[in-house]
Parts: sequence; C-alpha cells; structure tokens
Amino acid sequence: MSSHAGTIDHHHDPSTSTGIPNKKLLMWTFLASDCMFFGALISTHLIYRLHPMPDAPSPKNIFSLELTSFSTFILLMSSLMMALAVTAIQKGNLKSMRWSILTTIFFGSIFLGCQVYEFQEFVEIKKMTITNSMLGTTFYTLTGTHGTHVAIGVLWLILMYVRSFQPPEAGRNAAWFIRHAVHITVIIGAILLAIFATLALVHTLHTGGSIGAFFGGHFAMLAGLLACIAAGIYLARPTGPVNFGEANAIDVESMGLYWHFVDIVWIVIFTAVYLLEYL
Amino acid sequence: MRLSSLLTSTARWGRAGFALGALALLSGCDYNFWRMDGHQSTITVAGPVARSQLEVFYVTCWVTLVIFILVGGVLAYATLKFRAKTEAEEKAIPPEQGHGNPLIELGLIGASVLALVIIAIPTLKGIWYTYDVPEDRKADTYEITATGYQWWFKFEYPSEQIAGSGALTTGNELVIPAGRPVRINIRTVDVIHSFWVPKLAGKVDMMPNRANFLWLQADEPGYFWGQCAEYCGDSHAVMRFRVIALAPKDFADWVAQQTSPARNVTPKPGETAKAQFASLRTFKQNETGITDKYDVAPLEAWKAKQFPEKGENAALIAQGKALFVSKTCASCHEVRGHGAAGISGPNLTHIGARSTIAAGLIENNSEQLQRWIRDPGSVKPGNKMAKAYIDNNIKLTNEDEVALVAYLQSLK
Amino acid sequence: MEAILKSDLHAKDTHAPAKSAIFWRPTAQTGLISWLTTVDHKKIGFLYGVFALFFFLVGGVEALLIRLQLMYPNGTVLTAQQYNTMFTMHGTTMIFLAIMPLSAAFFNFIMPLQIGARDVAFPRLNAFSLWTFVAGAIVINLGWFMHDGAPDGGWVGYAPLTSKTFAPDHSIDMWVMGLQLLGVASIAASLNFIVTIINLRAPGMTMMRLPVFTWMTLITAFLIVLSFPFITIALVELMMDRLFGTSFFEVSNGGMPILWQHLFWVFGHPEVYILILPAMGIVSEILPTFSRKPLFGYPIVVFSGASIGFLGFSVWSHHMFTTGMGTMATAAFSLATMAIAVPTGVKIFNWIGTLWDGRLSMRTPMMFALGFVWMFMIGGFSGVMHSAAPADAQQQDSYFVIAHFHYVLIGGSLFALLAGIHYWFPLMFGRKVSEFWGKLSFWVIFAGFNITFFPMHFLGLNGMPRRTFTYDANLGWNAANYIATIGALILGVGIFIYFAVMVYTFLKGEKVGKDVWDARTLEWSLPNPPPEYNYRVIPTVHARDAYWYNKQHKEEIAREEAEGAKAEAAHGGIHMPHQSIYPFVASLGLFIASIGIAVIDHDPSPGFWGNKIVVSMIGGVVMLAGIYFWALEGNEGYHLHLDDEGNASADKKAAKH
Repeated sequence: MSSHAGTIDHHHDPSTSTGIPNKKLLMWTFLASDCMFFGALISTHLIYRLHPMPDAPSPKNIFSLELTSFSTFILLMSSLMMALAVTAIQKGNLKSMRWSILTTIFFGSIFLGCQVYEFQEFVEIKKMTITNSMLGTTFYTLTGTHGTHVAIGVLWLILMYVRSFQPPEAGRNAAWFIRHAVHITVIIGAILLAIFATLALVHTLHTGGSIGAFFGGHFAMLAGLLACIAAGIYLARPTGPVNFGEANAIDVESMGLYWHFVDIVWIVIFTAVYLLEYL
Repeated sequence: MRLSSLLTSTARWGRAGFALGALALLSGCDYNFWRMDGHQSTITVAGPVARSQLEVFYVTCWVTLVIFILVGGVLAYATLKFRAKTEAEEKAIPPEQGHGNPLIELGLIGASVLALVIIAIPTLKGIWYTYDVPEDRKADTYEITATGYQWWFKFEYPSEQIAGSGALTTGNELVIPAGRPVRINIRTVDVIHSFWVPKLAGKVDMMPNRANFLWLQADEPGYFWGQCAEYCGDSHAVMRFRVIALAPKDFADWVAQQTSPARNVTPKPGETAKAQFASLRTFKQNETGITDKYDVAPLEAWKAKQFPEKGENAALIAQGKALFVSKTCASCHEVRGHGAAGISGPNLTHIGARSTIAAGLIENNSEQLQRWIRDPGSVKPGNKMAKAYIDNNIKLTNEDEVALVAYLQSLK
Repeated sequence: MEAILKSDLHAKDTHAPAKSAIFWRPTAQTGLISWLTTVDHKKIGFLYGVFALFFFLVGGVEALLIRLQLMYPNGTVLTAQQYNTMFTMHGTTMIFLAIMPLSAAFFNFIMPLQIGARDVAFPRLNAFSLWTFVAGAIVINLGWFMHDGAPDGGWVGYAPLTSKTFAPDHSIDMWVMGLQLLGVASIAASLNFIVTIINLRAPGMTMMRLPVFTWMTLITAFLIVLSFPFITIALVELMMDRLFGTSFFEVSNGGMPILWQHLFWVFGHPEVYILILPAMGIVSEILPTFSRKPLFGYPIVVFSGASIGFLGFSVWSHHMFTTGMGTMATAAFSLATMAIAVPTGVKIFNWIGTLWDGRLSMRTPMMFALGFVWMFMIGGFSGVMHSAAPADAQQQDSYFVIAHFHYVLIGGSLFALLAGIHYWFPLMFGRKVSEFWGKLSFWVIFAGFNITFFPMHFLGLNGMPRRTFTYDANLGWNAANYIATIGALILGVGIFIYFAVMVYTFLKGEKVGKDVWDARTLEWSLPNPPPEYNYRVIPTVHARDAYWYNKQHKEEIAREEAEGAKAEAAHGGIHMPHQSIYPFVASLGLFIASIGIAVIDHDPSPGFWGNKIVVSMIGGVVMLAGIYFWALEGNEGYHLHLDDEGNASADKKAAKH
C-alpha cells in the first residue's frame, strides 16, 4: 500500500460528491454532536454554580490550579504531537508517525494520571465526593466525562499504533491476530502500571517515606511495568511489510480531529470550571 | 374499478354520515360534547385573569379560523377542480410543468406574518397582565401560600397569624375573599404539581426549589373546582381541590371561625355513646362520591356545612377524639386545641366545615368519610394514609369508624 | 470510533476476499443469518419498518386500553397504576419505537435510491444502528414481563417524579437505559445519513436537485445529531442520581428539577420536527407525482424545512409556559413559536400550489397525503393557539394539547407515513395494494381519527387535564369521552384493515411493473424490487425531477447508460460490501450492559450472574469485542459483474471463490 507514496491527494477524495472523505465528514458531524453533549454538561455545571446551597464548599479551597495548569499544558502538547503524526503519515513516513503517536499516548496518559491524582486528592483530602455537594456532582460528572473521552482517545491511539504493524493478508493469519491483542494489552498494562506506580511514589514521598521504601513496597508493580515496556519494545520490532501507509492517512486524520476536539473541550472546561473561580 | 368509484362517491357522503352518527350518539347524553360550561370550564370564566386568557384564546381562534376557511377553501377547490375524473384523464398529457411563483410566495409569507402580528399583540399584553397583580390593585391584594403534596393541597394564610401555631392552615379547600386580587405563592414539598382553577386562572406549576406565584380574582362569591394539572404519580387524577370565594363579611366570619381552636363537644353526664351500627354499604369502584347538591347550589351547600349538625352524640364524639390519638391519626394530622399536631397530612382542625375530603375527591358526609377512613387506598390509590395503616398496623372496628366520623364531623 | 471510521464503502482494494482464519464472512442470502448480518440498506430499512409497525400495534393497543378506561366516568378497566403505565408507554412507544423508526425505514430504503447511490456511506454502522434500536426497544418494554412493571413516569419523565425517592423500582431505569440505546442508534444512523446525502450523490445531483424527501432526511438527521445529546445528558444525570446518589435533581441538595425540563425540551422540541419533517418530505414527493406537476416553489419548500429545523431549537420553552419563567422569557418564546408558523404555513401554500392546475389522480397515497394536509393544518392552527402564552396557561396539560399533538402526529406524521407505505410499496415489493381496500382503510382511519380527537379540543377547553385515569360524571366530560372512545375503536378497525390488506398484498397482491405511478424521482427508474446493488450504472442527473427528465430524454439517457456500463466494467465491476455479524455483536453487548445497569439489583445476593457490575462488564466486553472485530475485519468487499440481462449470480460466486 505504501507503494503509492506521494500520489494521494489528502485534500480531495474523488470518490465523493464533495471531495471530502466520508470518514472526515462523519467525524466532523460526530464532533458537532459531541459539542452538544459537552454544552449540556457545562451548562449544568454553570447553572448550579450560580445557585449554590448555603453550605456549599468553595471551589477555590478545593482546586489546585498548578496541577491542572500543568496537565492542561501537557494535553496541548499532545495535540501538537497528534498533528505531527498526521503530517507524517500523509507523507508516508510510518516510523515518524509511530513515534508521534506514542508521544501523544504518553502525554494523554500523563493527563489521565493527573486526573486520577486530582480526583483522589479531592475525595480523600478535600472531602468532596460526588454525592456530598452539588459542586462534587457537577464537577466529577463533567470532568469525568471529559476524562472518559481522553481515555477513549488513548485507546484509539493505541489501536491505531498497533494496527500500523498489521501484515498484509492479515485475515488469514491467526497468529498475527493474537500478537495484535497481546500488543494492545501490554501497552494498556504499561500505562495503567505507570500511572499507579507514579501515584504510589507521590504518595510515599508525601507521607515521608523514602524512595527505597517505595521500591521495596511496590516491587511487583515495577517489575510488571518493566515487563510490559520490554514486551512492547519487542513487539514493535520490524517484521516485514505492513498493510498500513499513506492510504490510511485519513484514519489517522479522523482520529486527530477527535483528539484536537477533546483538547479544545478541555480548554473550555478549564476556563469555565477552574479559571472562572479565580476571577 | 367500478367498486372503487362507488366507494369514492359513498365516501364523500360517508363523512357526513359519520358526523350524523356522532350526533345520534349524543342524543342520549345530558351534555353535548361542544358545550363547555362544566365546573372546570375555561370558557365560562369567573375572574379577570381567566377572562384575559380567554380573550387571547378567542383572538387566536378567530384568526386561525379565518385562515383555515381561506386556505381550506382554496385547497378544497383545487382538489375538486383539478381532479382527474377518468383514468384516461390521469394518463393524458401532463399539465404545464411550472415550478412556482416567487411573488405569490412572498405575498403569502407577508400575509402570514401579518396574521401572526394580530395574535402577538394581545398575547404580549396578556402575558404581562396575567403575570402579577396590576400596580393599582397591589394594596388591596390578599396573599395565600398553596403547597402541593402527593396528593393534596395545603393552604396557608400568612396574614392570619394564630398565637402559638403560626399562620392559619387549611387543606384542599381554598377560601378567598371575592372581588379582591389574591396572590398565591405556589410551592411543593415533593414532586411537581400544578395549581389550576380553570374558571379563575390558568395553571402555574408547583416546582421544587422554585418560588412561583400566580394571581387570581373571583368577581362574585362562588364555589370553584380545581385540579392538579401536572402528572405527579399514582393518584394525580384524584388530586383535586375547591376554591370558595366569599363576600368580604362572610370571609371575615370564616377567618374568625378558622382561627379559633377546634370545637369541643362536652358530653353531658350520663350520656352514652350510641353509635348507629348500620354497616357501611359496599361502594362500587366507579361510583361518584359527590351528590348533586354541589352541582346545583354548591355555595349554599358549602355554607350549610359550616354549622354543627343536629343530633350530635357528644359521648361518641369524645370516643372518636380519643381514638384519633390512640390510632396514631394525630401523628400526621393537626387538630389545633385537641393535642394533635402532625404536619405531614392535611390540617383537620375544622375538617367538619369542609365540603369535600380526600383532596376534593368525595363529599364530606358521614358515609363517604367512613368509606375513606376504612380503606383510603381503595379511594385514592397509593396514598400515604393507606401506607400508614399498614406500617402502623392500624385496625379499625366498625365502632371505631363511626366514632371517628362523628368526631371529625363535629370539627366545624 | 475506529470501527466506525473503517466501514467505508469505497474500499480501495479490488481483490476478492481471502478465506479468513479469524473473521466470519457470512454469505447467507436467506434465513436468520442473512437478516442478522445484512448491510444492505434496503433490508435494514425493511427491518426498521417491520419493528416499527410491530411497536405501532403495541402502542395502538395501549391507546385503546386508555380510551376504554376513559369511556365512562370513573372507569374500572385499568387501575391508576396500570393507566399511568399505559400512557407512559403509549407515548414512549409511539414516538421512539413507531414513528421515528418508521421514518428511519424510509430514510434507509428510499433515500439512497433517490440520490442514485448503491448503499449508505457506512453500511455496517447502519446495521449497528438498527440492532441498537431493537435492543433499546426491548429494554424499554422489558418491564411488562417483570415484577417492577413497565415505566410509569410519563414520556417526559419529569424529575423528581422519576428520582429514586419517588420511583424506587427498576422500571424507570429500564426507561432511561432504553432511551439511551435509542439515542445511540438514532445518532449513529443520522451521522450515516448526513454523510451519505452530502457525499454519495450521483453525478449531477446537486443539492438543489435533491428530492424533497432526501432534503428533509438531511435536515432531520441534523436535528437528531444536534438535539439527542441533550436528552442523553439529561438521562445520564438522572441515571447518576439513581445509581450513584448524585444531586442533579435532588431537591434537598440544591438540585433544580426545572433543569430536567430544559434539557428534555431542548431535545423534545426538535424531536417534534424530527417526527414531522420526514412526513412533510413524503408528502412533497406524493403530491407532485399524483398531480403530474413538479413541486411548487421547490427552493422555498427546502428553505422553509431548514428554517423550521433551525427555529425548532429556539422554541423549547413553550412547553414550559406554566413553570413560572417570568414575563420576558415567556414573551420571547411565545413570539419565536409564532414565527415558526410562517415556514410551516409556506409549506402548505406550496402544496396547494402543486395541486393547482394539475391532473390530480386520486389514488390511495394521494388520499392519505391530502388527508395529511388537512389534518396537519388543523394541528398547526391549534399549535398557533398554544403559542399565545396566556391562552396556553389554560390549555397546557389539558386534553386540548392532546388533541393538538395527535392532529400533528397522527393526522400529520402517521398519515404521511401510511401514504408513503402505499406509495413505495410497489417499488419495495413489486406488488400494489388494491385501490378499493386502500381507500376504504383511508376513510375509516380518517373518520375514526377525527371522531376520536376532535372532541378532545372541547374536553380540554372544558378543563379536563391529561394523564388522569379517572374523572367524575358531573364535569361535563362524559359525552366527549364516550365519542372519543368510539372513534378510537373505529380508528383501530381502520388500522387493522390497513395492515391486513398490506399483509395480504405482500403475499398475494397484484403484481405490477416498474414505475407504476409514472413518478418523478430516481428510485422509480429501478426494477422492483430493486436489486441489491440498486443501480447497474450510477445514473447521471440532469434536472430536479431526475426520472421525469429521463423519461422525456430516453435516447440521451440510454447513451449515457451504455457508456457508464463500460466504464463500470473497466473499474472491475460493482463493488459490494461484505455482510458482517460484528455490528450485531456490538449492539448485543450494549443490550447486555443496559440490562446490567438497569435491571439487575444492586445487591450481589442473587449470586454471580445477578451482580450488577458483572453483567454490565460482560456487556461492555462483548461490545468492545464486537467493535474490535468490526474494525479488524476491514472494509473489503466483493465485486459483481453483470451480464446484459443484469444477471449477477454466476459472476458473484466466481468473485467469491
């Protein structure tokens, strides 16, 4: 497939009436719909913000603007990497696309990790749960929905990354199918273990424990993380021709549209939920 | 084909036939379906708010009727005039393949906009007029709070404070002064209900966490039917109430009577409780619980309820008063002055003076009251009193029921 | 998401599929498997129709029970709770499980044919929409067979009546999850239709040459895509309250139930146009055909449809005039609602303009279409009466409203859909319904409908509130209620005749050749029933009423077709997508997960299988597996090579090894 490198016009698909590829149009329309989802959720948050209960907790006492600003920055950087991935595959540069996608996954995972940390802190230290205040209800539902979108995006990135190793005639090759599944599993495993290990490390340091204690207490977790990373590197070794190339640029581009959209929504949420409280 | 053409010609007559058939169906009924003068009519109104709403309705009605006659006439004409009468005509040379005429289109759009402006002006006036009491009447306004419960209404009179127990509180029968604007605060304690007395004013919903209000005014003294108009669960259909408008003097008397504590009937020494143990008849499920007198002269019937009945048996009443506490009625109902101070059910301090019970559903007489006390769940499905009977394992004997009825009827 | 993106009809590869070791490539053309795995828009449309008509009959029975209960004062046919269940399910069923999917049946079957396409843009996504719709329909109706009973919160499900406090059993959970699935199905289907209409038009089929039905499909699809998210979020919030104890509508924690109403009606009002615009599209096809004239003022009809859709988003609060919004909001929504009458009126003028000077052939579809125009006009006028907020304060939640929206939904949507069934039946099945029985059913339905609903106007003005299981005899409502029930029975007979005749015709009706009505749009150029590849040669469109033009220019079109056939053969034949079971698997997973969330009790006491989380997780895994296989099986298809008679079977077998 990658043999027609450079012959595909990525801005015009002659098989459609408008020249816009079907997948791109589908994604744009879906994002319009998704806008409405977030519109409804953000409205709910803002409406309840204007009608607080007398004993409502003050968001300023709960939010940690430094952490959220950091994760916002990371998410923006991931958008940059996503854009690089699209450009790379449009030029047929598979290797560069893989690296960009992996970086995007990495940044997305950091964002998710920050969110897990934030939720944990809010619940355990700030004592704001989803049930004990309206702020908790709207905050966790809204940011949780966004987090789910990011998680779906990361999963999609992983699937796309692994798919870029798919050999031709894959349908006849059951071994490849299993390998594919294992590849996905180890990446997801690595991400989850990395997030939990980092959280555990932060927790250990917060509570005055030493790094040594952390290694001692989480040996199995760290070993698993290393194993997953090693397996991921092994599975990513070149194994011959792949059925993935410039023709798949539209798949990557649609995924990119989704990813950018989720980032933009985060900017809106960051403004409407966090920054608004500091005006 | 012959059969089908026969059908088309008969069908035209068929429509007329159906209309006639419908008329025939009506001949046996008391009311014709187009008569709109029932107790909850929005057409035969009795106050300025409902009248303003009716006027807007008439404007919309006439404007749309005129348009309907014009457009429908053209449509009918076109359908009849351009009909292909034979199959050959259907297949004949097709007509001119014209695609439209912008001038006609624009003209018609302009005409529709004009028609809507005719509706819009009274609409806007009506919105502001019906929203709140007019400025020049504000001073004369009487204020009441209506609260919806599943499935009854509580009415509070903030201007009639009673020492030690707050504002005057009644249930399911709202007594207002006639000829004065009444501003009603609309509240709910559970789900959404809606306050609707069609002859006096359109409805306003009782929304949780929302301070709604409406205003209404009864031109003359009268007895008006109202009903919850927002679906609120099992017994929504039987969540009803009445509004009684009284002349100023009558209203003042009523307030004086209501603000006094519950009536005491002291048994004479040696008097014994003589209950009539005629067993309660079986009620059909589809039986109307209200007698004709409330259709004929409701206000008079209501006024008659204000006075103690003849032949009261004071000992029986005393027995009922004791049962009211011992059977835990008092934990939900208040009877001011008799040591009953429950708040989750209607205030029964002057229940005997009300014309209806069970939220306007059945008439307040001994028979219906006993029916209600015996098995509230069969009268009003899902209601809390029926549940309380089960939860507290309340069992009433026939004697208990009769005593309770006598007691409640004595609370004038 | 990846899965969705991969189901592209226009796969680039041209080789025949290899026998797969992993993926199941069903090839059955008949039997259950062929229906479960089909990606053919016509079969999917047919299935939508079958399910919709089934639920239409269910909803009809519910309606008859409601009317029987109200026939006499203090009726005893149903208990209060049963009655509340009936009207809740009647509304939910008719709107979401009957009218919407019946419209979807036409979208699926007719729209791709009208634009000269061979299928929708994403055939497998289309199958997923269908099966998710079926799953949602089952979840909503499960309560009938369970202890908790079917939902009884009203079709608008106003919080807090639907909260855990006031509705502790599972029936509302099933209603919520069922509607969520229907939302997923509707949005997925609509995305597909939008891409199809915008991108798969035949050469020459410009936007302003699209048949009006296709235009209305496009507008409806946009309305669905933009309005369904609001009810999805409302339902999510309600479900969070019910499952996790959040406070969105929990009054004691500061929740405001009015928010539910806003979210619901921001969806709910566009939903009204989602129900009526397809009907308007169908009527705009039928009237020109049977008047033998083009549609009067085509661009204005199209723009008025679009402006109805646009304005439809700005009038939602007219369902809430009695919630105490204040004067400014009430006035604004009142005026906006009046404004929407203008484009609606414009459509009626243009339909009359179409009839004017035509040769009206009064066949059954035309009868239903004219019935639509009359009834919709009456429904529209009572709608204008509601737009005047002061008048609406009396009419809101009364039988006047019931009369209004049944005139719009039965007299409007349903009449048009019944017209559409008659109109396209010959194309779909190659048989024609007898004129006699068709017209008989029309007149019985027409009479029954008016006898049922016209008196309800008077009932409402006489103060009868809706959703009441009983009324007293002294309120002056007896006669109108009695007549309405008689009318409902007549309407029931009419609907029975209609469908009995339809089934008879399907099996044994008169066979007809192609283009039985001498129609104007492209779908009639196909033989009936249309072959699975629709068009042998993708047609070239020269005019608005494309097929009418073709019939006037036979030679030019024949020449084009011959050239097109040659070009097609050079490209390797007609590309067809493979059948696939995976969309069905993904829907099945959603179904299991909804059962887990909605039906299973929270306590794990009934054992492993009874555990809420376990069942939901299993559903999630099945769904993910379905999507995963769907993504990986790829979007290859096979190619058909047609001989001169259009006979494809031999070549097809060869192409498939």
